[in-house]
Amino acid sequence: MSVKLDPVTLEVIRNAFPAMANEMAADLQRTSYNMMIYEVRDFCTAIIKPNGDLVSQNVGGVSHFVADLGVIVTDGLKQIGEDGFSPEDVIITNHQRVAGQHLNNIVIYMPFFFKGKLEFFTMVRAHWIDVGGMSTGFGGGADVSDPWMEGLQLDQLKIYESGVRNETLYKILRDNIRFPESSLGDMRSQMAACRLATRRLEELFEKFGKETIYTALDQVFDESEQKCRNVVTDIPDGTYEAESFMSDDGIALGEPVRVHAKVTVKGSDMEIDLSGCSDERKAAINSRTYAGARVAYKALTAPTEPVNEGSFRALNVIIPEGNIMMAEYPAPMSQWSIVVPTVVDTIIKALAPGMKEHVPAGHFGVLGGPVVFVGIDPKNKKRFIVQSIEGGGWGGRPGEDGASATVSVCQGDVRNATIEGIELKCPVMIESRTLRTDSGGAGQHRGGFGMETKVRNFVEGNWICEPPKRGENCPAWGLWEGNAGQVGDYQMRKPGEDTFHIVEKARNSVQPETEVLVRTGGGGGWGNPLDRDAELVSFDVAEGLVSIVAAKNSYGVVLDPNTFNVDVAATGSQRSKMRATQQTAEQ
Amino acid sequence: MLTLLAVDIGGTFTDLMAFDEQSQKFYQGKSLSTPKDLAQGIIDCISKSNLIISEAKDLIHGTTQAINTLIERKGAKTALLVTQGTRDVYRIGRGNRPESYNLMFKRHSPLVPRQLTYEVDERMLSDGSVRTALDPAQLDVLSRQLEENAVEAIAVCFLHSYANPAHEKLVGEILKKKIPNCYISLSHEILREYREFERTSTTVVNAYIGPRMSGYVRSLESRLKEIGFSGELSIMQSNGGVMTPGVAVEKPVTMMESGPVGGIIASAEIGRALGFENVISFDMGGTTAKASLIREGQATMAEGYYVGGYASGDAVMAPVVDVVEVGAGGGSIAWIDEVGALKVGPQSSSADPGPICYGNGGQEPTITDANVILGRVGASDFLGGEMQLDLNSAIAGMEKNISDELGMDTNAVAAAIIDIAVTKMSLAVREVSVEKGYDPRDFAMVASGGAGPLHAVQIAKELHIPTVIIPLFPAHFSALGMLMADERQDFIRTYLKNMDDVNFDDLILIHNEMMVQANRDLKLSDNMIYQIKLDLRYVGQEFTLSIPVDIEQFEKRDRAGIRKAYDDMHEHRYAHHAADEQVEMVNYRLIATGKRPTLKLPSVASNKTTVKPGQRSVYFEDSSTAANCPVYKRDNLKPGDKFNGPALVQEYASTTVIFSDDNCVVAETGELIISVGKGT
Repeated sequence: MSVKLDPVTLEVIRNAFPAMANEMAADLQRTSYNMMIYEVRDFCTAIIKPNGDLVSQNVGGVSHFVADLGVIVTDGLKQIGEDGFSPEDVIITNHQRVAGQHLNNIVIYMPFFFKGKLEFFTMVRAHWIDVGGMSTGFGGGADVSDPWMEGLQLDQLKIYESGVRNETLYKILRDNIRFPESSLGDMRSQMAACRLATRRLEELFEKFGKETIYTALDQVFDESEQKCRNVVTDIPDGTYEAESFMSDDGIALGEPVRVHAKVTVKGSDMEIDLSGCSDERKAAINSRTYAGARVAYKALTAPTEPVNEGSFRALNVIIPEGNIMMAEYPAPMSQWSIVVPTVVDTIIKALAPGMKEHVPAGHFGVLGGPVVFVGIDPKNKKRFIVQSIEGGGWGGRPGEDGASATVSVCQGDVRNATIEGIELKCPVMIESRTLRTDSGGAGQHRGGFGMETKVRNFVEGNWICEPPKRGENCPAWGLWEGNAGQVGDYQMRKPGEDTFHIVEKARNSVQPETEVLVRTGGGGGWGNPLDRDAELVSFDVAEGLVSIVAAKNSYGVVLDPNTFNVDVAATGSQRSKMRATQQTAEQ
Repeated sequence: MLTLLAVDIGGTFTDLMAFDEQSQKFYQGKSLSTPKDLAQGIIDCISKSNLIISEAKDLIHGTTQAINTLIERKGAKTALLVTQGTRDVYRIGRGNRPESYNLMFKRHSPLVPRQLTYEVDERMLSDGSVRTALDPAQLDVLSRQLEENAVEAIAVCFLHSYANPAHEKLVGEILKKKIPNCYISLSHEILREYREFERTSTTVVNAYIGPRMSGYVRSLESRLKEIGFSGELSIMQSNGGVMTPGVAVEKPVTMMESGPVGGIIASAEIGRALGFENVISFDMGGTTAKASLIREGQATMAEGYYVGGYASGDAVMAPVVDVVEVGAGGGSIAWIDEVGALKVGPQSSSADPGPICYGNGGQEPTITDANVILGRVGASDFLGGEMQLDLNSAIAGMEKNISDELGMDTNAVAAAIIDIAVTKMSLAVREVSVEKGYDPRDFAMVASGGAGPLHAVQIAKELHIPTVIIPLFPAHFSALGMLMADERQDFIRTYLKNMDDVNFDDLILIHNEMMVQANRDLKLSDNMIYQIKLDLRYVGQEFTLSIPVDIEQFEKRDRAGIRKAYDDMHEHRYAHHAADEQVEMVNYRLIATGKRPTLKLPSVASNKTTVKPGQRSVYFEDSSTAANCPVYKRDNLKPGDKFNGPALVQEYASTTVIFSDDNCVVAETGELIISVGKGT
């Protein structure tokens, strides 16, 4: 191709593709029927070339979907064949052999033809509230031991063929999922978003012609690649390693799951090797995804740039088959994304010595504290589902404290459900939603606080309380002598009980007037807590977010118990005593 | 008799527009804003204008002070009272990180410290029933604490107060008695809608800016009286309507976009007067360009927005004219990024030092410099010749910063900079039109701001907008719009029920309650228009569409008609609908408008002698060959004048660029009406 591109055309085309993906996302979100889409934004929209190259993807959604639709397209072409697609075909798929995620993540896609030739696919992956199987919501617990227990498996099927619906497939879907009006409504929104993008593509192709568009895209990809390379060049060459753990996989209780990252930087190239992560498990925390490596790379190289095929060209990811992140079908995957935030954070931790000014301490590391309670409302005999994602603490960072009560590194514009919104729809009461005092790890820049949400159910139902897999033995880590954050858990008080007990199992059938505490962990501290400005500690205590005891024991800051003013002399001696202890410990 | 006066305070200038109904004449004035004492700036501007203030019937005022107080964090020491258990709801917010890959993301910063957030033992449920009654005795201790802390403002936000505000009302009454000098905002009076975080944030913002803004409005009232003004003072709101000073004092949060909104009203009015009901309002100033859409004479509204940006700004859920803003203005800087791509903005040289051609020390080439290089802005005609622009420095700066590095001709670079800016601005226009399902070919564009008329025709070409209108006073446009604004109040109430279960008598009851409030708040009550809208959605959806209905539909129990209107609108917006699915109602909305007598734009004198246009070399589509182009003086044009492009129309603070395939007609009331691509 020999089209000469002027800077204007390049800019127009550069902006047009992300705008399409974002427009698809906005429409999907506004018309969808389940909070996993409209609040949790557990979806991605994308435009993909038939060879699997990512042309553009929406921003702001769940980050672990980054650049993961290419494999769906290459598989679809293999199964259906390049000549097997017609305009107005709609393909539905979620099969784990290729998709590598839980079955709730349903991909809908449509081919885009220009002048009779297949050019792109417009695609939407979105989390359906139910796909059959053992339970509703987040794909069931860790003990869902194979894909058949998890739900319907759909392998590159045409739900519409040249615009005509396949009624048999449609009825199978409708009759085998628990909230058909919700999921099929979502399917309608997904298709509308795909159609919208094919219309936009048509306009763009008409305006610029195919050759210009492809030439511009090549250049846009090259520039994205170059921007990443420029950042990596500034990291000293070498090998960086870090290790962390998940408490257990949910079945082999008490047996930690290893996460390990080896990052090699050479010039502008980076290689992330996850071979040191655990082998695939019997528990359902397996996946097939490059997301861990890619989210980390993106966050460290070009976090605010749009995502396209060039974003990851200068990155090589090594994950062997049979690894927990590259599990072989039919390994169970219903909790596929649970390990990913920890993988991301571990890669970031590995690179901390090479990128000191850009790396925060560890964050709470799980996909929020999911609040999930399902049942049938006796008033109208209808099923209801309470769902919210509660944020946790982020690590302290160069120059400032970590954010509190915010969703994980794998979630972006993911919003919790409002108390009033939940109570308007479901027979429960949110008794409190508060920050957890002392949950943020101490540091020169303190970790953010986790939170605690207390819910009372007025009717019987099922609480889904999968214990977070970042327990006491693997909290959010501190960095540069900062302390770890506190970890999260679920606690329950049944009617008549005096106190709350830690919940050990995922599915809990409960009576009315049961109360549940959903607690999320805090972030790790950055830098030595003894270096923290004593006035900031005093302020945190006055705010009620750090206890006066922790001020003394963790920060060495002694405060007047009534005014919370800093006792300068006492603080000086407490801090030098603690410093001496620290030095002894180091030796 | 001078009848109407509008004053718009912006960051740099205070603009004044006045209209004398008897002589049918406009007056305009400008003076530097006086941030330390804004009311004085208004008084100065009026004195400078030689207007006889005692003869003014109405004074409408818009100001950026509310938003500046918030952005600059210069509001009052504010406390927050919340339901037991929800002390941290305001800090936690929605827990989201819109910049998904950014490890250094920033959350919103609360305006109230946790120490000044107090829990009150009370609880309502979603149906408005009381679960825990509020014992007034607890407020004795609490009000003492508030006093000891020298709190100046208090926001009260209890759960489900939209359903039953009794507890908030009780607390409000008690506090008013106990701490009479404190500014108090109750959430159900500010925003009677569910979603506690957004309601809390809006109420807190109201309280936070309340003491300062109410003091300002009150002082403006008395200062105006001192200089002899005896007419009615009205304040511009973000929703495009005006309100009485009394309402402004209670709800300053509705003044956030009080400044810029005037231009949108003016676009609607001018469009209507010229026979264009569907208008895109486009304004381009020094640092940003703004677009908004007017359909059937009505500006598009958003339910609220985030001041300071969605990622980390303050949620303010008060109806606001929907404006899409992009960082492209006359002062936007052109630069080459790390991989060699040419970029424009969002950095701006602002007023100081300004573009290179201003000669005030600006070193980086801007959009204005590009326009000077291409001859579209005349170096010796800027601000009526009061300010000489330095063309040679602009060329030198462009070469040094851009052309040499790209290996491109300087004229081509200047054209490319303008084209890139046009692309960016087109995206904003696209966002308010195409992306909302409206076809730009059905709209006319009204272009204002100092730099709007320079680029409007090019943007219109990009989006196939057939007509561009350049109004009179494009650089005073916001103040002009204020002269045309109606009185307006928006009311909202959450009423969540399946459409089949909606009790129409309930709706009539809510309606009547809102009417009482409307009649209290609006002074033009003899000439009111009421619009009712129901926010509806399919059961299971979160987002709603607002469906216009009328009161007779309630009396006739017209469930089917309302339902059909919803399906139709869903189809129109999203290209799909679901006629078999259940629909639920979420909110009831009432928009009360007090129509002001319509300001009729006067005709422009038609008996002027024809003046031959000047000539200048200007580069248009072809950046290598200059066209010898006629330059018309706006003041010399008279109704009915017609000419084809290429042409420039020059006036005091702006220049209109018309291309070779466009033609221009001067309207009876002086506007330039440009038919894009319709030249001969």
